[in-house]
Amino acid sequence: MFCGIDLGSRSVKLVVMDHDKVKNSEIFETVQFYRQYGAATPEGLVVDFKGIGMAGSGNVVATGYGRNTINIVGATIIAELKAHTIGAMWQTGLRDFTLLDLGGQDSKVIKVRKGKMVDFATNDKCAASTGRYLENMATVLGISLEELSSYHENPVELSATCAIFGESELIGRIVEGYSIPELGAGVNYTILKRIKPMLTSLASEVIIFTGGVALGTAIGKMIGSELGVEVIVPKYPQLNGAIGCAVHAQEKRG
Amino acid sequence: MARIGITTTVPVEIILAAGHTPVDLNNVFITDKEASRLVEVAEDAGYPRNICGWIKGLYSVVVDRGDIDMVLAVTQGDCSNTHALMETLQLAGIETIPFAYPFDRDYDILKLQMDKLISALGTDWDSVMTVKKRLDQVRGKVAELDRLTWQENTVSGFHNHLYQVSCSDFNGDVTAFEQDVDQFIVKAGSATEGTENLRLGFIGVPPIVNDLYEHFEKMGARVVFNEVQRQFAMPYSVDDLVEQYRLYTYPYGVFGRIEDIKLEIERRNLDGIVHYVQSFCFRQIEDMIFREKLDIPVLTIEGDKPGKLDARTKLRMDSFLEMLG
Repeated sequence: MFCGIDLGSRSVKLVVMDHDKVKNSEIFETVQFYRQYGAATPEGLVVDFKGIGMAGSGNVVATGYGRNTINIVGATIIAELKAHTIGAMWQTGLRDFTLLDLGGQDSKVIKVRKGKMVDFATNDKCAASTGRYLENMATVLGISLEELSSYHENPVELSATCAIFGESELIGRIVEGYSIPELGAGVNYTILKRIKPMLTSLASEVIIFTGGVALGTAIGKMIGSELGVEVIVPKYPQLNGAIGCAVHAQEKRG
Repeated sequence: MARIGITTTVPVEIILAAGHTPVDLNNVFITDKEASRLVEVAEDAGYPRNICGWIKGLYSVVVDRGDIDMVLAVTQGDCSNTHALMETLQLAGIETIPFAYPFDRDYDILKLQMDKLISALGTDWDSVMTVKKRLDQVRGKVAELDRLTWQENTVSGFHNHLYQVSCSDFNGDVTAFEQDVDQFIVKAGSATEGTENLRLGFIGVPPIVNDLYEHFEKMGARVVFNEVQRQFAMPYSVDDLVEQYRLYTYPYGVFGRIEDIKLEIERRNLDGIVHYVQSFCFRQIEDMIFREKLDIPVLTIEGDKPGKLDARTKLRMDSFLEMLG
C-alpha cells in the first residue's frame, strides 16, 4: 500500500494505491484537514491516518507548497511539479505532452519530453485563472460551479482577469442583459486568455488538463478549439498530484 | 564634503574626485532594518502601490532618513520611474542632478555627460583619473573575489553579490571597503570548497528579497555568476574612463547584456540561469528576449517588496532545481 498526499491551497487530496491501482481516495478542505487530522509537533505535522480511515497505508509521499515549507512526520516530500508530472504520465501513459493544472489558487503549465519535465511556468502572486476565481464568479452569477463550467458558447467580452475587479465587470454585463450561458462562457474564456501565453510558449500537440478546474468541460473544449490541440482530461484530474506521490512511493519501493 | 545619493551605478570616480561621499541609495534601502516600512512611507506620501518597490525605497531613504545632501539620478539607462523620483524629491526640497547614459553607447555623448558632471561637482579630469587608478586597484581585488567564486568555489553566491554590488559606491569609503575585501579574500583562501551539484547564474537587477542565495544553497545549488552586480564592479581593465562606462553593459539595452551573459555561461560552466525581475519593472518584458536568446534553462522569479521569499517562489525555485538535476 502506498499513500500519496497533495496538500493544496484549497483542498488536501489523499490517494492510496496498491499493485498499480487506485484503491482509495479522499478530498478534504484544507482548513478542515489541518484542524481535524493534523497535529503540529516539534518534529513536524503529524497526520492522523487512522482518523482518515487510511491506517496502515505504509509508504507515504507528500507534496504541496514548497518542499521546505511542509513537513509531514514519516513522509517523503517531493516537489509539486514533479508529483504532477509523474501523476499525469501514470494516468495517461504518455511521455510527451504539456500538462496544464488549474487548481484552487494556482495554475501550472509543465512541458514534458521523454518523461522528463523540461520547462514550466506558474502563475505568480495572482489568483486569477484559478478555481478560486471561478468559485467567486459562480457566486456572482448565482449558479453552481458545475453549471458555470459547462458554458463555452458565445462568450461575452470580459477584459478584467483580476479575480476582484472581474466581479464588478461581470455585474456590469449582467445589467446589460446577457444570458447566463453567455456570461458563464465569458468567465471561462477569461481563464483561457490568461493561460494561453503559458500554453503557447510551452506548446505540445497534446495537453493533459488536470486540477479541480478540469472537472468542468467548457475550458477544456475552449483550449482544444482555440489552440488546435488534443486536450486529455485523465480519470482523476483533481487527484493527479496525490497519485503522482503514490506512484513515486511505489517506484521507490518497487 | 557632501553625501551624494546615487540611484544606480554612475561614474563614481567623479563624485570621489570632487571630494564628496557617494551613497548608493539602493544599498541603504535594502540593508535598512525597516526596509518594508520605507516602502510604506513612500506609499503614504502618494506613491502608487503598483510601482517598483526599489523606487519607493529610494524615495524614502532620502526624505525619511534625511542625511543625503543631493541626489545624482540616472535618467536614462536604468529606469524611467527615476524621472518621477527626481521630481518628487525636488518637491520635497532635495537638490538633484541628472545623468544619462546614451542608449546607443555613443562615446562623445557619454563623455559630454561626464564633462557636465565634472563641472557640476567642481572637479577636473586629472583628479578623476587619479581616483580611477585608485579604484581600479580595488576593482581588481573584487574581480579576484569573483574568480574565487566560480573557479575555486570558496565564495558563496551571496558574498559574490554583496561585494560586487557594493562597488557602485565602495560603501562610501574606498579604503575601508578595500580592507574588508582583503580580509574576505584571506578568509576565502582557507574556506572549504563548495560541493553544490548545480551552478547557477543570476541575471537581472539585484533581488529585493534577502534569502534567495541562501535558499538555493540549502537546496544544493550555488549562484556562481551575478550578472549586473559584476557589471557594477567593472572588471574591464581599461585605461580610458569613458570606454569603461561604455563597456558597462547594464544601461545600454538587452543585447549587449546577452553577449556578456553567454560568455559567462560558457566560462563558468553554468547549469541554469535565474532571471530576477522586479514587479512592475519594464525589464519584465525583456524576459522573453532572454528566453529566446539564451540556450540554457531559465527560471524567472519576481520580487515585489523587501523581505523573504514567499512559498510560491520557493516552490518554483525547487522545481527548477529538480528539473536541472
